[in-house]
Amino acid sequence: MADHLDEPGLSPPGGDPSIDITDVYAFKKGNKNKSILMLNVNPLTLSSSFNHRALYQLAVDTNGDARADIAFNITFSRPHSEQRVVVRRATGDDARENEVEGRRIISGRTNTVVSRDGFKLFAGRRSDPFFFDLLGFLAGFAFTGSDFFADKNVFGIALEVPNEALGQNPNVGVWGRTLLPEEDEHDDDHDDDHDDDHDDDLRQVERMGRPAINTVFMKGARKREFNRGKPHNDRAEFTGDVVTVLKSFGHSDAEAAGLAAILLPDILTYNYESGAGFLNGRNLTDDVIDIELGIVSKGAVTTDGVAAHTDLLGVFPFMGPPHT
Amino acid sequence: MEKINRRKFLTLVGVGSGAVAGGAMLSGVGLLGGLSGDKSSGTFSFRAVSGLPGGALPSYASYVVQGNVDVAARSGVVARAVYAGYPGAMSTIALPGLSQVVRVTDVREAEGAVDITGVIDDRSQLRPGEDAVVQVRVDRSRGAAWTRFLGQPVELRLHT
Repeated sequence: MADHLDEPGLSPPGGDPSIDITDVYAFKKGNKNKSILMLNVNPLTLSSSFNHRALYQLAVDTNGDARADIAFNITFSRPHSEQRVVVRRATGDDARENEVEGRRIISGRTNTVVSRDGFKLFAGRRSDPFFFDLLGFLAGFAFTGSDFFADKNVFGIALEVPNEALGQNPNVGVWGRTLLPEEDEHDDDHDDDHDDDHDDDLRQVERMGRPAINTVFMKGARKREFNRGKPHNDRAEFTGDVVTVLKSFGHSDAEAAGLAAILLPDILTYNYESGAGFLNGRNLTDDVIDIELGIVSKGAVTTDGVAAHTDLLGVFPFMGPPHT
Repeated sequence: MEKINRRKFLTLVGVGSGAVAGGAMLSGVGLLGGLSGDKSSGTFSFRAVSGLPGGALPSYASYVVQGNVDVAARSGVVARAVYAGYPGAMSTIALPGLSQVVRVTDVREAEGAVDITGVIDDRSQLRPGEDAVVQVRVDRSRGAAWTRFLGQPVELRLHT
């Protein structure tokens, strides 16, 4: 539940879990001048394929204004045996458009690692790297150290990029978005031309930067409003929601406001010259839940007793093989 | 996009055969929603929902307890499951490993409420350390029901 299943209306058949973001990761690749960006979707792999009408996007803010300056736009063909996946890199105004913009930088097939011009790409079914005692959370922080996600899969999208592709300023912000056509979003009456499937105007249906912001702080219908929101508006629109939850755990007005200013906008801040890990980007092994539990509960709860998964790979795409 | 029918969906969510059976039972008992009954036959049905987690945190999921109980015969079936989405925007996505079917073994009326006792016969539906014996109290006058979720007491709202 970093962001798993946080969007009302995603249930089949009307909704589509394949555009439900589960997690976003950004971390330095060893000693290389490269970074790994990940956008994971499809919690519990409820859908059997990526949505060919959706735009999956990793947005990058390079100047601290919480607006995208670079976007990696990822699209998929109709599902056959495997789907064709294309990644485009858009910059400037194009990065902020709800359209499939940008120059094609790499493409391939799902479930296969491909490399080109310093980029690597993988998109497909993997072991969900997220770890958390979800049931303990649902029972009101009655944690037992049972990792709900230990045997679950997701659809992972991993992109290895040269750091220069993230801009000259090493301090960037990263978040993920998924967008669907505004109309006929579940209409299958489209031809098989890959690019033509993305000609419609798109609207944002999901977004995520840091883990569990929407899940923990947004109540009821605010969850959907948050998912439709833009990071540069977060402080104006959602600070009250965050402050309310923090105060319920005993934080003073000033403490809650101060923490809300850190948690919002919902962007994963990342210095690509540092491998420090969360809150600098997010590694697959970072225990983000323990960190956030301590913050939210004012130190009353410091761990869910769950550790990182042991099936992670030492090489790209780093996420473990899918469970069968 | 491949369509997912109900049976495939229940399989996909990985709840196992027990939970698939639970899903079938949920529809099979013909639950009417809320608390309804037939005084002549002594049977009633109920459906109660609570957000999880409770307390100060916004609800992430919905705990649904519903049953069809024969008071006179002291028998019936109660089903418990957790669905993604908060009450009011609950999905059809049952969280794996949290669906249970309870065989009612006793029913008592007390202080205007109905106390239901049952047992989870399929032990694969139990979490580690969880008691197979289940207690549910249904109080129509208060519009509420009570049971436990993973050992923690939960108050649920009866839906009418």
